[in-house]
Amino acid sequence: MSTATPSRFTRRRFLKQTGLTVLAAGSAPVLSAPFVSAAFADAKSLSIVQWSHFVPAYDKWFDQFAKDWGTKNNVSVSVDHIPVQDVAARAAAEASAGSGHDLFGWNGAGGAHLYRKFLIDVTSLVEEVQKKYGKISVIGKQIGFNQDDNTWSAFPDYYINFPVMYRKSLWDGIGIQPDSWDNIRIGGAKLKAKGNPVGISLGHSNDPNTTWRGLLWSFGGAVQDETGKHVVLDSKESVEAVKFVAALYKEAMTSDVLSWNDSSNNQYIDSGVSSLIVNPISAYRTAQQLNKKVADDIFVMKPPKGPVKQFMGGAAEFYGIWKFAKNQDAAKEFLKYYADHWVDAFKASSGYNMPIFANIVPKPMPLLSDDPTSTPRDKLAILQTSDEWSAVPGYPGPAWPATDEVYNNFIICDMMAKAATGALTAEESVKWAAQQCDGIFNKWLHRV
Amino acid sequence: MVDIVEPIVARRSPRYRFWLDRSGVLGAVFVAPAILYVLLLVGGPFLLAVYYSISAYTIYDPSWQFVGLANFRQIVQNPAFLEALENTFLFTFASQLLGLILGKFGALLLLRPFPGRKLVRALIILPWAVPIALASVAWQWMFDSLYSVINWTLIALGIIDRAQAPNWLGNPHLAMLCVIVVNAWRFFPFAIVIFLAGITSVPQDVIDAATVDGAGFWRRNYQIIMPMILPIVAIGLIFGIVFTFTDLSVVYLLTNGGPVGATSVLGFQGFQVGIVSGDVSHGAAISLFMLPVLFIVVVAMLRFIRRRDI
Repeated sequence: MSTATPSRFTRRRFLKQTGLTVLAAGSAPVLSAPFVSAAFADAKSLSIVQWSHFVPAYDKWFDQFAKDWGTKNNVSVSVDHIPVQDVAARAAAEASAGSGHDLFGWNGAGGAHLYRKFLIDVTSLVEEVQKKYGKISVIGKQIGFNQDDNTWSAFPDYYINFPVMYRKSLWDGIGIQPDSWDNIRIGGAKLKAKGNPVGISLGHSNDPNTTWRGLLWSFGGAVQDETGKHVVLDSKESVEAVKFVAALYKEAMTSDVLSWNDSSNNQYIDSGVSSLIVNPISAYRTAQQLNKKVADDIFVMKPPKGPVKQFMGGAAEFYGIWKFAKNQDAAKEFLKYYADHWVDAFKASSGYNMPIFANIVPKPMPLLSDDPTSTPRDKLAILQTSDEWSAVPGYPGPAWPATDEVYNNFIICDMMAKAATGALTAEESVKWAAQQCDGIFNKWLHRV
Repeated sequence: MVDIVEPIVARRSPRYRFWLDRSGVLGAVFVAPAILYVLLLVGGPFLLAVYYSISAYTIYDPSWQFVGLANFRQIVQNPAFLEALENTFLFTFASQLLGLILGKFGALLLLRPFPGRKLVRALIILPWAVPIALASVAWQWMFDSLYSVINWTLIALGIIDRAQAPNWLGNPHLAMLCVIVVNAWRFFPFAIVIFLAGITSVPQDVIDAATVDGAGFWRRNYQIIMPMILPIVAIGLIFGIVFTFTDLSVVYLLTNGGPVGATSVLGFQGFQVGIVSGDVSHGAAISLFMLPVLFIVVVAMLRFIRRRDI
């Protein structure tokens, strides 16, 4: 005889047990919170996020440096490195969430001025370091300084310069020095015919954004005036600059440059193809590791002279401390200590990170004035003066959210590329770009 | 022999029946997490985005000042936005069409028995499963202006010389073709799965009857099987269109919207303006512009499916 025995595992029992399990798991953090928070309070921590440096050895040095500082000061330090193109999105995420790293390292456009309301005032820290290590250069002041109330919302770390890098043997071969934009066009055309074109990107990335601004300034054009309130792009000078780029593209470059990212021009010269690029010295440092013969032939020069001036764009790195940072004091102390050891940072970057405080790396600068890995040893010496010919995108006015958006939308790159590819005439191209800038400026002028 | 069933002792029914024993209540409890998830993680951010788009909110000045439809008016007056809108339509519909064609042929091939078919079926899912960041690196090298594997092969085979090599990501038309191909490559395994599910659900006797009546391969496929599986394909297509229309990853990783803005799509533009440049309100307006367009497309397709439902 069989009898129907009720199942031991009923739906009600399942629900009851599952509910209790979920409740226990959910309440665990709440129950343990008093003990956990006490434990955290005892151990200080400092978290830092910054871009993955183009000189990997610098990241290794920085990580160890931060760790050693933490050990000395009983602070647990963590450093995260993210790709440079992710910096802006990460900053937006941390600001929106009101949570994230204590110290945020920005690179290039955007940053301190955009996030001003989310960052603590570091004026006293910057002034203290300035007293010790000398005045801040023009490019340094364009970064985290707020002109309206003379305060600093970020600590300026370094800037990246964009000198000319050229293959000396090739240019000597045609008897032309690439020291002016005209010479680059004329000589570049000859070298292109020999299979060694000029390589300046017309794509969507940081390098063309920086280089073409430098050319625009050299021709007397600019996106905005000194006050930063007016768009002055639609000018005769801008049209001349764009006409020149169209000629340079047709005569001295190939269409490859339209698709380039920031590493393409490095590969172009390091592979021995290109005769000239405009780039930070990472291209040269990489060539020293990959192709010594080419590296020995790469020489460095100030930016080319234009009809009006000799000037070039630069990119800047600076640290902000969030208002929501859990350990603001530790962040400030770390920056002070970091400034005191900035020469080591400079050496670790192989001379890539350029100083913003006048005497923080006394001249003659190590490596740049006498680089044992270069022949001749003073090959990079000219870079010591780069603060005289470098500026961030807002030049001659301040960098502010509108100039950042012009930069992020690649408007200057596209202005040059539209004329270079023949999609628009130089005049039409400048008009198009000026309209785009006007729209962006009108929008931001009502919001800042 | 007959089993004698023990008489069931009538239990006194509880006055208060445990509420979770009611199937209606229990169903609601089980569905609640999904509804909560949609409300909190989709509905909440969506409403926030709607408010951002009609406010003056920026990262510089996180104010909630109401500006009406001013942000929308400004973006539609921008030629760069209109170009991005046009690119988005081209990118979406061309990649879906290409994905469907590849999916259909892939499904037909995978229906035939051959050694290792199970392995091939598993491998074919890879483009869908591989993270797009990883896949884009490989595609970038294939389309690279200096080291393109495609160009190298064409040159090695003597089909073209170096001077004629296509500049895949540097020519505006070719660059658009590249992002379309990469997106179709991502989508086609999904299309294969949809087609396989559809084709295998067609009753064999219908196909047999058509064969007996003299229908050949093409007629069977396009006059019998396709009409029958069209509603399933349309559902897959809705997913594909929605995901592609709102996608920015392929463009962001492969071209950054270049050359000269030729591959800039709405998702990418919304990200650049709203997140990278900190103008959240205009970024939200650009992103939300996709909503009515997608709504119309989805409603039209759903109506089509209802009419064609067999």
